[in-house]
Amino acid sequence: MERRGFLKVAAASSLLGFLGGGSSILRASEPASPPNINDLVAVMGGEPEAMYLRAIKEMGGISRFVKKGQRVVVKPNIGWNKKPEEAANTNPQLVAAIVKDCLKAGASEVVVFDHTCDSWMPCYKNSGIEAAAKAAGARIAFGHDEKYYRMVNIPRGVRMKQAKIHEEILDCDVWINVPVLKNHGGARMTISMKNFMGIVWDRKFLHANDLQQCIADCSTISKMPVLNIVDAYRIMTTNGPVGKGPEDVQLAKALFMSTDIVAADTAALKFFSQFREMKLSDVGHIMIAEKMKIGTTDLDKLQVSRIKM
Amino acid sequence: MYKTLKWIRVALSLLILIILTLNFFYFSNTSPNFSAVLLKFQFVPSMLGILTGSALFFIILIILTFLFGRVYCSTLCPVGTFQDIVSRFASLFKSKKNRRYKYSKGYDWLRYSVLVLVMLPLIGGITLPIAILDPYSNWGRISSQLFDRGVQTINNIIASIFPNTFYINNYSHFALAALLAAIVFLLVIICFSAIRGRLYCNTICPVGSILGGLSKFALFKPEINGNCNQCMLCVSKCKSQCIDVKNHKIDVSRCVACLDCMQGCNRNAIGYRFAFKKVENKSSEEGKNIDKQGRRRAILTLGLLSGVVAARAAKIGPLVRTKAEKNAIAPPGAVSFENLKNHCTTCHACISACPSQIIKPALLEYGLEGIMMPTLSYKDHFCTYECNKCSQVCPNGALLPLSIEEKKLCQIGKAKYCLKECIVYRDGTDCGACDEHCPTNAITMVPYKDTGLYIPKLDRNVCIGCGACEYICPASPVKAIIVIGNEEHQIAMEAAKEEKKEVKIDEFGF
Repeated sequence: MERRGFLKVAAASSLLGFLGGGSSILRASEPASPPNINDLVAVMGGEPEAMYLRAIKEMGGISRFVKKGQRVVVKPNIGWNKKPEEAANTNPQLVAAIVKDCLKAGASEVVVFDHTCDSWMPCYKNSGIEAAAKAAGARIAFGHDEKYYRMVNIPRGVRMKQAKIHEEILDCDVWINVPVLKNHGGARMTISMKNFMGIVWDRKFLHANDLQQCIADCSTISKMPVLNIVDAYRIMTTNGPVGKGPEDVQLAKALFMSTDIVAADTAALKFFSQFREMKLSDVGHIMIAEKMKIGTTDLDKLQVSRIKM
Repeated sequence: MYKTLKWIRVALSLLILIILTLNFFYFSNTSPNFSAVLLKFQFVPSMLGILTGSALFFIILIILTFLFGRVYCSTLCPVGTFQDIVSRFASLFKSKKNRRYKYSKGYDWLRYSVLVLVMLPLIGGITLPIAILDPYSNWGRISSQLFDRGVQTINNIIASIFPNTFYINNYSHFALAALLAAIVFLLVIICFSAIRGRLYCNTICPVGSILGGLSKFALFKPEINGNCNQCMLCVSKCKSQCIDVKNHKIDVSRCVACLDCMQGCNRNAIGYRFAFKKVENKSSEEGKNIDKQGRRRAILTLGLLSGVVAARAAKIGPLVRTKAEKNAIAPPGAVSFENLKNHCTTCHACISACPSQIIKPALLEYGLEGIMMPTLSYKDHFCTYECNKCSQVCPNGALLPLSIEEKKLCQIGKAKYCLKECIVYRDGTDCGACDEHCPTNAITMVPYKDTGLYIPKLDRNVCIGCGACEYICPASPVKAIIVIGNEEHQIAMEAAKEEKKEVKIDEFGF
């Protein structure tokens, strides 16, 4: 019933969108970055916290994104009941480092959550993220029930025109997207854009309605993250997103950071390609996102800082 | 002395009732089951689980009965304690005269007919009759179907007031048969106990009849001595209505060892006496007749009891089977549908223990004789790979304990993939939801023709039937992948291991 109604709305509004043409006015305007601040920072060779601190410095410091008194959400990937060394979830040390930094910048509260795929309690626990984030001063929010999600319109979405998004995302001042870099059997890759599936309630809808397009549609919501931080400390190169065993995991010791979600994913993908070949054209949602002008895959146009530690 | 004993009995029984009931509440599945061992101290579970680790508990319960009579009924049985609470509460609304119990002759013919009707099918491997009448199993169903929902509602109200501290708990499945059974039984025992104390225990309850039959041989029995002046104080307090003061006789088979009479007597005229071999000393003809009758019943009870145990040892499967209607999936540890049917009395301890709340009481999935037995439903979630909770809590031996490692290879069913319904085939778009959720790598994504798409490939030997794929499959109205339960659980194969290739890189790649 809900889906049928939704499809009607989707069909009607896609027609409207077609007639209306480009809707660039609706795009959230990005803060104009000062000239000497990087668009994209790539770091390799360090520990998660050290790499983060180095990268954020290159990005102009966390205070560029988090202002005093703001409520901040840090959204890692906590999708699976797996341990940190299995690389199915974001590195807990990285999450903790970001939380600490936000609080240092004067955030009134930092919230960490995910809509997990496995049962949420063991995911929160075994990923090490709950403990690490709490120790760093964050509040852990729940995401396992539909009641925590609210319906919002996605006017720029092509297939996904509406979705139930987690209230913490909708109610916070700013949020930071912290995915882990992994291979994915369905979406091919899971990086920053794919990480949005953890703020949506009905994930089945995405899978059933052209997954790649829906992932891109998700990244057109008005409440976009102020920063995308891709954890590539350990990466899952095969059998993602859950992995079979240690043979799927490589210790890559890298981190990527960008305000441009497409650029962040492009950079991470190119890095990933050195471990296992993966073409940009293979990952549908990144290509679609560029077409939809969500961001750019042309890294040469950006001011990029590459740091080896 | 009896006063102290009685209060110890009351305190102990309340404590046991509370801990036992807590086992059936939703939060029991988040903490280690500290009290699951208490479930094994229940009579029917210990009898059915005698060959699977409950022998000790069974022997303790039998010895306890041979010493002091039906201590189980007064102290360990949750329904017994609950009925005492109801009687006590009901007496507040009764006149002083109505509050007093009177002696009743009892309904022995009814008791033992019920017992035979329950125990014979049980010997034949059919647990349904005892499942319907066993007080513990009923208490389990009442706790999980009724009380737990109340507690969940309270939890969810609190969670809506303090959303950051308390989390919303999803309601478990609505199960018609189990819910009705719980409501009916609760109403029946409330009526019985409000009107006539332990009437259920002494007319219908099969456990009461078994232990009553054994009490005949108890070493210590309650007796009335010469101090008695027939003041009727004990009679008026006897919930079992088994004290015949006029003839100075107590029907031991109905006495639930509650000690109320002994505590109430002002003249110390009633108490436990060492009664070994005393029974033979009865002189009157009538006494001998009653004696003979009692012995016959005791022998009948013992016979039925040993029949049940022997049938378990001989692994006699269900002798009668009705046709199963739908696809049932037995929880991990069940070994086979047969083993489950032989042992499960549908107490729903496993259902309450499941953190994912995917175990639900069956309707006719196992056939009529398996009504209310646990079956898995992947509608709202799937079986967590690293979880073995259900197998750990079963007191009956219907689910045998599995270690996490054993559980990970326990194949309770196999997925069945239907290409025609698959999103990748049907819509020509990427999906891979099943592969994403598959914990065993039974599903892998392989290139699909020259489309650039990837499509699932299923290895049924590696599949354990956890239902993650079925749960997440977005195809509708018919799912492209569903799990078919195994009638006999198997050990799944492990997915082939690949060599790890260490890759060292120095560049960013862009």
